[in-house]
Amino acid sequence: MAEEPQPAATGAPRVGAGPWSVALRRLRRNRFALASLGLFALIVLFSLAAPLWAVHVAHTGPNTTHTLAKVEVDGEKREVVDPTGKPTGPLWLGAGGRFFLGADGSLGRDEMVRLMYGGRASLFISLIAALITTAVGAVLGLLAGYFRGWPDTLISRTLDVIWAFPVLLLAIALGLVLAVGGLQIGPVTIPSGSIWIPIMIIGVVFVTYTARPVRGEVLSLREKEFVEAAVAQGAGPVRVMSGELLPNLWSTIIVFFTINVANSMLLESALSFLGVGVQPPDASWGTMIASGSNLIKSAPLLTILPGAMILLTVLSLNVLGDGLRDALDPKSKLRLEVHTGLVEADGTPV
Amino acid sequence: MRKLHAALAILGVVAAALVLASCSSSGGKEGGTLRGTYASFPDALDPALARTVEAWTALYDTYLPLLTYAHADGQAGSEVVPALAESLPKISADGKTYTLTLHKGLKYSDGTPVKASDFAASVERMFKLNSGGSPFYTGIVGAEKFAETKTGGIPGIKTDDKTGQIVIQLTRPRGTFTTELALMYVAVLPADTPVKNLTADPPPATGPYEIVKSEPGRGWSYGRNPQWEKTNGKLISSVPGGHLDKIDIRVVSNPSTQVNEVERGSSDWMQTTIPSDLYNGVKEKYEGSQFRVEPTISNYFFWMNTTTTPFDDLKVRQAVNYALNGAAMERIYAGTLKANQQVLPPGMPGHKKFELYPYDMAKAKKLIAEANPSDRDITVWVDDEDPNNKAAAYYQGVLKKLGFNAKLKEIAAEDFFPLTGNLSTPDLDTGWLDWYEDYPHPNDFFQPLLSGESILPVENSNFAQIDDPKLNAKINRLGEEALGPKQEAEYAELDREYMEQAPWAPYGSRTVSTFVSDAVDLEDIVFNPTFGQDLASFQFK
Repeated sequence: MAEEPQPAATGAPRVGAGPWSVALRRLRRNRFALASLGLFALIVLFSLAAPLWAVHVAHTGPNTTHTLAKVEVDGEKREVVDPTGKPTGPLWLGAGGRFFLGADGSLGRDEMVRLMYGGRASLFISLIAALITTAVGAVLGLLAGYFRGWPDTLISRTLDVIWAFPVLLLAIALGLVLAVGGLQIGPVTIPSGSIWIPIMIIGVVFVTYTARPVRGEVLSLREKEFVEAAVAQGAGPVRVMSGELLPNLWSTIIVFFTINVANSMLLESALSFLGVGVQPPDASWGTMIASGSNLIKSAPLLTILPGAMILLTVLSLNVLGDGLRDALDPKSKLRLEVHTGLVEADGTPV
Repeated sequence: MRKLHAALAILGVVAAALVLASCSSSGGKEGGTLRGTYASFPDALDPALARTVEAWTALYDTYLPLLTYAHADGQAGSEVVPALAESLPKISADGKTYTLTLHKGLKYSDGTPVKASDFAASVERMFKLNSGGSPFYTGIVGAEKFAETKTGGIPGIKTDDKTGQIVIQLTRPRGTFTTELALMYVAVLPADTPVKNLTADPPPATGPYEIVKSEPGRGWSYGRNPQWEKTNGKLISSVPGGHLDKIDIRVVSNPSTQVNEVERGSSDWMQTTIPSDLYNGVKEKYEGSQFRVEPTISNYFFWMNTTTTPFDDLKVRQAVNYALNGAAMERIYAGTLKANQQVLPPGMPGHKKFELYPYDMAKAKKLIAEANPSDRDITVWVDDEDPNNKAAAYYQGVLKKLGFNAKLKEIAAEDFFPLTGNLSTPDLDTGWLDWYEDYPHPNDFFQPLLSGESILPVENSNFAQIDDPKLNAKINRLGEEALGPKQEAEYAELDREYMEQAPWAPYGSRTVSTFVSDAVDLEDIVFNPTFGQDLASFQFK
């Protein structure tokens, strides 16, 4: 275990590690957060490996149908879909990895391949949507909080309008409107059915969830002495915002990003379940739950598996988000360090 | 003598009791509230706009045309009988003039009297709304012009409110017109009915039930029409009065949940066919007691837009037909579909089985190579109901195998027809459709779906947009003639001629099911081949 730097006996200023390395050290000592990070990494790897599994093991694509196909299981030919339309259950390695988790319904698509590809879609959408949400939210919050006055009024009231709508209802309405004609803003055209439609929808409806807290924090930070000092030295608004305020907001932004990824994944799943997210036949965990729910009695795994993947992903991101907050937030220093054994409960270093 | 009288009286009472008992064969009880479920809200609860079987089932006992289809199962249910009219129409010798007379004293559910002029107004309203049923009635003198201008009335319909007489003049004889007068599109509504889709606020009814509440997307409720018992029911003998006091229909989008609710008894009837994974289990467990298979005269197919690339090329359309495997479709529909590759389904007069395009993927690919279409980006339209959406996903896979970049567009069932029937909707390349007979006449599968006259800017029903003058003329000529063996043979020939043009890739006819809770008397439920389950026949045990 690395030793904490001790203050010099002479009373000279203590030369400590930077805030990022302190945060990293704290994070490394939080076993729950590390386990969550590991779990999330595994889920990402699982999804990234989809093409490898599809080509080398399952020998089929995520949307390839096998309604009338037969598969050899332990030397015996078996129908992927029986004449009553019931799909085969998990074959595990009985067919050399083909239909490892069975088929997805009367179309006979490989469930394992779809689960992996579905993960790619769900993760891609939630990561990009969270990136957009966090970036746009942070910029809007920064502008509103720093300038106050009419820019604040304009931004905050616009966000209030978005905030006033129930998130899911707003997302469904946007999804339905964009489902047929797509989206065209100036030269940018997003065709209907594109994966960018749910990304844009989620990006829009969650902006306010980042922008408002960032604005609040900027309102507080802009009154601090270091900002006054920067202004006194002639720094303009852009320099103050980028050089003074933003570095102090990073911890908040990073924590919000992880929470936004988790929330985006939940919203993407809900939208896809309701038919306004990822469009069939493409798989996402939400669309897989929707199609599996028709077979809930005869093939419950088709619903449980994508549901479990969403649960694990969101859980891992939430616990990781908590861990990051504890590691990055100076206010949580005492709580965390007591927990990790760096200080006594009264604040005395161990 | 007095003893004899007493004995005769007793015998009379016993006989009357026996007659009454036989009338109510299953001993069902009157009254009660039926709780039913639909998988999606019907396309419209406005008779002029209702196009789907789901909507017609919902409106069969609510809105009555001058004529209607007998409230009976099977072949008997295909018979046209008088409804608001006193009798079947008197047809002139030249076949162009139809004369009917309204029953005297009929009233709408709101108490206002039904007038002969309401019929003319209802037909005009249907044209003003650009209803999908319009092509059935453009043969009325002046109707075609009215469909374009929407003003000036239809001179071919003359009415007399005093006598209740309605005279309809056609431009040319039309062998199917009597059956078309029994369609929901021309159900009689008050003359002042607003010219807009009244699904959310259905107009007053003439049948035994009225819609008392409608929440589009969620459900609707029926109550007894107060005028039925007072007046209408006494005048209209062909329509049963119904046993139930109230009917509540909810939309439950998951058919598995619908099955579960019926099994638990929290719902009494599901309109939707049992989902494929539960179908055989339900059939085994409940057939005869709560479950019944109902044959339909229907066609399930994919249309191809013949006016745009790549489907403007006959070879491409033929290739699609060769590439579509009926056996796979039968499996996707889990035994509720019988493969069929022609326009007329089995059971329809004129159906003569042929198979122009037996499954042959190699031949299909060869045809595509010959056609070498310049545009390979295709949008496939389908509604979101299972297993139609699965059939379309399979079809998309087939198109991909043929080298197309096919994109699936799944639309909520209630929005599907308005969107795909609107020619301004972008990317109407190809799509799924089912068609159940409107009336038992082969013309019903040709005129609305394949005649060039049926291509409409909105509410279009010729989805392939095929417009072949020679075939149009044949449809029109056959439509003028009364159906007989000669005409049936010609319809069979027309079927083949159209399939040679391959505007569709048909894949089968379907059976549907009636599934009710243990509390409902299955035996007495009527399944009309055109309208589906007759809600007036439902009765609790």
